[in-house]
Amino acid sequence: MPIDPEAEVVALSPKSLLATNRFVCEICGKGFQRDQNLQLHRRGHNLPWKLRQRSTKEPRKRVYVCPEKTCIHHHPSRALGDLTGIKKHFCRKHGEKKWKCEKCSKRYAVQSDWKAHSKVCGTREYRCDCGTLFSRRDSFVTHRAFCDALAEETARVSAVSNIDRLTSINNVNHHFTDDLMRSNMVQHFPAIFKPAMADGQAGEHPLPGLSLWMGQRPQNYQTLSTDSSLSSMHQMGPVSISTLYKDPFASCSNAQNLDSQLSWIYSNKLASSSSVELTSTLIPTSLKEANLMSVPSLYGTQHHQQSMPASDKSATALLQKAAQIGATSSGPSLFGSLEMKCHNTQVQDGGKYDGLLNPNHQSIAATMENSLENIASDITVSNPYSDMYSSRHQMAQKNGTAGGETRDFLGVGIQTLCPSSVNGWI
Amino acid sequence: MNPLTPHLPKPPSFISSSKLSHDQSYHHHMSTNSDPSDTGATEKWAAKLLQECAEAISVKDSSKIHHLLWMLNELASPYGDHDQKLAFYFLQALFCKATESGERCCKNLASIVERSHSFESARKVILKFQEVSPWTTFGHVASNGAILEAMEGETNLHIIDISNTYCTQWPAFLEALATRNDDTPSLRLTVVATVGMGGSVMREIGHRMEKFARLMGVPFEFQVVRVATRLGELKEEDLGLQEDEAVAVNCVGALRRVGVEERNDFLHMLCSIQPKVVTVVEEEVDLTSSRSEFVKCFKECLRFYGVFFEMLEESFAPSSNERLVLERECSRSILSVLACDENGGGDCERREKGSQWCARLMEGFSPMSFSDDAIDDVKALLKRYRPGWSLRPAEGDASGFYLTWKDEPVVWASAWKP
Repeated sequence: MPIDPEAEVVALSPKSLLATNRFVCEICGKGFQRDQNLQLHRRGHNLPWKLRQRSTKEPRKRVYVCPEKTCIHHHPSRALGDLTGIKKHFCRKHGEKKWKCEKCSKRYAVQSDWKAHSKVCGTREYRCDCGTLFSRRDSFVTHRAFCDALAEETARVSAVSNIDRLTSINNVNHHFTDDLMRSNMVQHFPAIFKPAMADGQAGEHPLPGLSLWMGQRPQNYQTLSTDSSLSSMHQMGPVSISTLYKDPFASCSNAQNLDSQLSWIYSNKLASSSSVELTSTLIPTSLKEANLMSVPSLYGTQHHQQSMPASDKSATALLQKAAQIGATSSGPSLFGSLEMKCHNTQVQDGGKYDGLLNPNHQSIAATMENSLENIASDITVSNPYSDMYSSRHQMAQKNGTAGGETRDFLGVGIQTLCPSSVNGWI
Repeated sequence: MNPLTPHLPKPPSFISSSKLSHDQSYHHHMSTNSDPSDTGATEKWAAKLLQECAEAISVKDSSKIHHLLWMLNELASPYGDHDQKLAFYFLQALFCKATESGERCCKNLASIVERSHSFESARKVILKFQEVSPWTTFGHVASNGAILEAMEGETNLHIIDISNTYCTQWPAFLEALATRNDDTPSLRLTVVATVGMGGSVMREIGHRMEKFARLMGVPFEFQVVRVATRLGELKEEDLGLQEDEAVAVNCVGALRRVGVEERNDFLHMLCSIQPKVVTVVEEEVDLTSSRSEFVKCFKECLRFYGVFFEMLEESFAPSSNERLVLERECSRSILSVLACDENGGGDCERREKGSQWCARLMEGFSPMSFSDDAIDDVKALLKRYRPGWSLRPAEGDASGFYLTWKDEPVVWASAWKP
């Protein structure tokens, strides 16, 4: 708003600012909230023509300052031209919030604000980047924090900040960890997941690497701060990252790149004790190449400063080792494949995030459950609990006779299962 | 009506061959029971049979135990109606108790869960649960309100989070920090992870929290402290406390995981940290007397989980997979409480009632009352869910307040300062 040097600056005290009846009739002293109402009232006094005009003309424009000293609008240069405006400002910023929304308990100092909010409260819909709609703000906020769509957005948007640089390293490491693992492990996994790179699809980043890292958990008290693990990776990281950036899609085919990436991974992994874990575990599905593309300028200069990590293992030996690790861990592989199924579904059905409505998702949940049951029966074969189950399924008819028949129900009978504990009182 | 006697060869006559009610017909489709006429005509048959069995176990009446276990096995199903489910999950525990195989069973269950546990699955289940029921969000909103109030004016916040809700409490808190006033404080979040919480899951959660905090514009640090054996062994030096920071300890479903004998010491340790506030949220049931008074503990356990299962049934859609996962998670708790020793069975699950926790907390802390704003927030929260939920302030010796489901207190929330 252009400042009018001729304008009269009016500084009202908080009391007068908040006074509701500023316009007072000079004849009878009655107060009114608005000037128009006062004028209407004055007509009722049947004043002679001359006096009908306003006694005090207001030739100059008035601007108002906020009485609150710490406020930016306290200074005349930032005065507001509208009295109602300054009143509302004062109430909103410095006033007591007397009006409260019933639905969401949000507070307002200005009654009209409160009314306006109450009208829309609860009717508003929040849309997450993944496409899901929410009618409640709290569930929207919580969902958003954990949503895969968020992971991508913030990484792209804030690629330049320091913290994000480290995060991007994290992501990039995941990225070529994926490549490495995928190239070795693809034969172990069902065709349901296809290498994202090959198809040029931006959406899919399955997790073959997961099966490798599953067994690794810190065993003792560990303050696993992301800072420490990230910084150790940071040292090694940029070299491989720069090679990656030359051609992000070439990692599978370029033996030399693979070698450097492998050497990075294995030297880091072998060198450090279990206290530093590669944080390459679960990766947001929506982690896309765009992630990497946004960062290259950052690493352009860096790779000159760091040297390649030395490694005496050949690329072939390391590849073989990776294949071995993949082959021997059959349990986690199953889990890994289930993991990826979930991932794929989520990525494909971005618009229908609410899984219950999604037939694919349901069948995958069912698949997971079946697998769980399989796992359960596999590992609890010798457990009396599971014997109960297996015999339950076996039983087609009721055993209605004497107590001896209860052996069938329990499969082998309690005695044989737990000889020591049970003999005492059964 | 109930001619249930030991040595009875046939199933008692109170189980008639009535047809399934309409409600159960869907579940029957999924049920593993072979014979529809097995379903009891009487209501609450599961509670009756289960209690009888628990009593038989406590007096070591072996033939009766056998008989009842057999009957329960016939009738139980994890896919059936309320009684069938209760029968199923408690049958496991009773069986293990009878055969003293509780610890082994617990370990097996734990490893199954660990294998199937992923960030995606945990996220899906807990977010869905929070969408349909305020069971966990009640504690979150109350605790956040108390923490925000206690930390008013502080610039460096450090929250020690010992909870079982996978950080779903914190997005709303971060948003509140960002929007409340012009000066956004910084937040360090230290999550104490116990045995059941997978490392990969926690790491992924950490990444998400960091990203979200960036989006909110809150300076944020995340770290996980892993407790090797028992939560009771956590020490102050493990927490990475720094100077010039205001500490809050958030215990949601946490204190119950400390061994009963270690609880007072644990609270003493918390007190020595000198936090600005300690928030405690626990489920309202007393399961501490398992060894000494098995039947009493059993009854409490049955009552509580009966309510919990009923709440789940009424909150979720009938075919919900998330509900099934939550029900299965209960089985571990139930098994641990009824059939395991104090130290066996992984995480301790022996809950105490609010009044009992109050007695312990009064040793080193004094209760902090919730502000009107915080209470209003909780009330507004409850309005967003189906009817049946309400808020009740604690009375007498207890402080804090309860979430009630059909007028029965189920969750207790409180705040304390040293």
